[in-house]
Amino acid sequence: MEETRIGLYVCWCGTNIAKMVDVENVAKEMESMPNVVVSKDYKYMCSDPGQDLIIKDIKEHNLNRVVVSACSPRIHELTFRKALENAGLNPYMFEMANIREHDSWVHTDREEATRKAKTLIAGALNRVRWHESLEKRTVDMNPATLIIGGGIAGISAALEIADSGKKVYLIEKSDKLGGHLLNVDLTYPYMYSAQEMIKPKIDRIENNPDIDIFLNTQIEDLTGYVGNFQTKISQDGAEKELKFGSIIVATGLRAFNPDSIKDYDYANFPNVITSVEFEAMLKSGKILTKEGKEPKNISIIHCVGSRNHDYHEYCSRTCCMTALKYSNQIRSALPDSHIYHAYADMRAFGKGCEELYTKTSGKDVIFLMYDQKNDLPKIKKASVKDKCEMLIELNEKLSGESVEVAADMVILMVAMESNDNAKTLGQTVGVSLCGNEFYIEKHPKLDPVATTTDGVYVVGSCQSPKDIPDSVSQARAAAARILAKINYGTVEVEVTTAVVNEELCCGCQTCVCVCPYTAISYDEEKNVSVVNEVLCKGCGTCGSACPTGAIKCRHYTDQQILSQIEGLLSKSLELQEV
Amino acid sequence: MGNEEKKPKINLAIYWGAACGGCCVSVLDVHESLFDVVAAADLVFWPIALDIKYKDVEAMPDGFIDVTLFNGAVRNSENEYMAKLLRKKTKILVAYGSCSHMGGIPGLANFSDKESLLQRVFDDTESTENPKKIRPQTEYEVKEGVLDLPEFYNDVKTLDQVVNVDYYLPGCPPQTERLVEVFMAIVTGAELPPPGSVVGALVKSQCDECERKKSDNKKINKFYRPWEIEDDGETCFLEQGVICLGPATRGGCGVRCIKGNAPCRGCYGPPPDVIDPGAKMMSAIATMIDSDDPEEIAAIVEQIDDPAGLFYRFSLPSSILRRTIK
Repeated sequence: MEETRIGLYVCWCGTNIAKMVDVENVAKEMESMPNVVVSKDYKYMCSDPGQDLIIKDIKEHNLNRVVVSACSPRIHELTFRKALENAGLNPYMFEMANIREHDSWVHTDREEATRKAKTLIAGALNRVRWHESLEKRTVDMNPATLIIGGGIAGISAALEIADSGKKVYLIEKSDKLGGHLLNVDLTYPYMYSAQEMIKPKIDRIENNPDIDIFLNTQIEDLTGYVGNFQTKISQDGAEKELKFGSIIVATGLRAFNPDSIKDYDYANFPNVITSVEFEAMLKSGKILTKEGKEPKNISIIHCVGSRNHDYHEYCSRTCCMTALKYSNQIRSALPDSHIYHAYADMRAFGKGCEELYTKTSGKDVIFLMYDQKNDLPKIKKASVKDKCEMLIELNEKLSGESVEVAADMVILMVAMESNDNAKTLGQTVGVSLCGNEFYIEKHPKLDPVATTTDGVYVVGSCQSPKDIPDSVSQARAAAARILAKINYGTVEVEVTTAVVNEELCCGCQTCVCVCPYTAISYDEEKNVSVVNEVLCKGCGTCGSACPTGAIKCRHYTDQQILSQIEGLLSKSLELQEV
Repeated sequence: MGNEEKKPKINLAIYWGAACGGCCVSVLDVHESLFDVVAAADLVFWPIALDIKYKDVEAMPDGFIDVTLFNGAVRNSENEYMAKLLRKKTKILVAYGSCSHMGGIPGLANFSDKESLLQRVFDDTESTENPKKIRPQTEYEVKEGVLDLPEFYNDVKTLDQVVNVDYYLPGCPPQTERLVEVFMAIVTGAELPPPGSVVGALVKSQCDECERKKSDNKKINKFYRPWEIEDDGETCFLEQGVICLGPATRGGCGVRCIKGNAPCRGCYGPPPDVIDPGAKMMSAIATMIDSDDPEEIAAIVEQIDDPAGLFYRFSLPSSILRRTIK
């Protein structure tokens, strides 16, 4: 076996690490660790000169292993692996010790933080000696795309992809395309007609030969991996199989049911209606109470089910502007009516939105602020002398006074919440839910449409409540990502996969059902388990489940992990004794 | 007797450390093969059967013994002394049986420490009457001179934690057939595996030989101890909710426990790439629990009686579970 020659690099990260860790001392002391040939510290290892330092040393000192102690591997592991590759070394002969997030950022004692850096590095040095070369693998990309959900997001993505001549399978659980937009009258802030926007798009989809539409359709299961997925769908009870390379989840959301808010008594007041019901009323062209009369006093209550720890903590984002849109529509239809907003804050960000607020404020609309966290308004039945049907009691925050507002109609701006089948579908396609039960994107800022499952994208309101422009932008962003992959033609698949040593496997089959990617099967003839390495994502579940030690998870072998722990503990013990 | 002249006899020693005697009995179990053994070997030391003293061993030249089968763990200073002595006097030192291989049953004492063990035995047991709080001492003066006893250690150690071991012959006790095979390989001069190897056992684990029906349906809602369930005699124990250490245990015993409708307890030790069979098996069992609800999972796990003793029954001293060394 060739001699292990390790290069160790300790990063300052400007002052991020250097202010709390004595990086020069660390680099100097760790040079005496076994097999360390060079040990250096540098201001920014991730910079071009930093990487060049590694590349130069690999060639000059004939290094065959590299450890960089810097930030989290989530940030720069790929950067340094690339540097190794550029120097002609296998990128997996690399290990990172995180002395920033795990050390300098979370400690206040310089001496202790320096000691901890040495300990973490000792673990990495001990681990890297067991690293093995792993070869990259690629598979062909199936150019078809599956889109789940036929609302504005799904439709936008479908058109974008099909317009470039690529196949789209568009699946919708209801009996028509269009989603929530089908029930919307005008859209804020410019009062464009929703129907005039959505109808032509639906026509285009229906006439596009590259888009296969499946209405009344559910996904039964999904197998495969980026570039090569397949699914079983059931359409009106009939099953069909589809194959495709990418998936866009665009399943949208649903309206919050306000029954649970006692003080609004939505169930019993006929003229307390939700924003969804009011929108339908606007679309039908007539604003009327249940009794068929034109309401004189209309109140709009904001944040119903949003921004309150009893319901949903998050802001549903579109309700403020929709409520302003209602004021304008009511003012046009009923010029003499009284319009009240019981609101919490007016959230008018976005193009044209603040302008809509200013414009609406000038239309004899009264805004009353309440505390949406602790002190919700109450809707009460009015007495005969009040000459209205209901009274709304609220503590007005700006004036500090308790006020009563007459109401013949109350519109509840209900929250947007995730669909009830979001979890099941998420499990099928391999996307997790966030705390608010919306789908989680890969990175909240830098990768907002991808997910942790390669080839699966989330767009529109299934990811978080959004308005139309944001949904369309996300949909088209996902489409662009997919088209780029289709254009490239192949996709790289995981190399840190699990592998079964058939000499050791005893055929107990413990591993078969633990695999979340159905990558393991049992070969009856040989009495061993078999890993399909193209399906395997290297999650390691089978490796920890395997009682015989027959399954090895590449790059995460027991030996690598135990050696790291051993290095870490022995250094820690050594430094304590000093 | 003609054979004897052709091939020189080898010198064989058998010794017990912290052991129950079962390993020595397993050697006696060779039955009529004993004649082959004695024809090929001179038994130069075997406390259970022959009256040869320690001083006789001390007097032997270094390397005088060709093969020593050392059974039992290293629990006290006498065990350690003899392990070191025999190492010096022996060419091929074999850790014979689970206790010298992995620590075995006596090794379970490592879940406790010396002081609490002595306290239990000499003070607390229900049948103890020891008003003077007398404890064993390594030396005691009487008018005839000084009496001494071995020192009781804090930790039980495996043989290879004390001296270099050439081969491991696992089992509690090892299957006699396996012993005869290994012994005959040595005396006939067959090519031996590299030092440090496990001999007299298979590479694959128990399931490979086990004839029970196995599937990937290892989902456990309730754990049963063997007496709590009517075993159907043909389905994998794990699939019936009975913990069987077979998957994490080397084959070679002929799946004797399982054939006797008892789950494997793990005496043959781990397959080659497993460092800690107890941890491996717990990890495997964890994946079989059929629930996603943390409270329900905790309740199911609670049903496992004495998990430490169950999963580390034979392997505690050799495992990565160690008390802080002070």
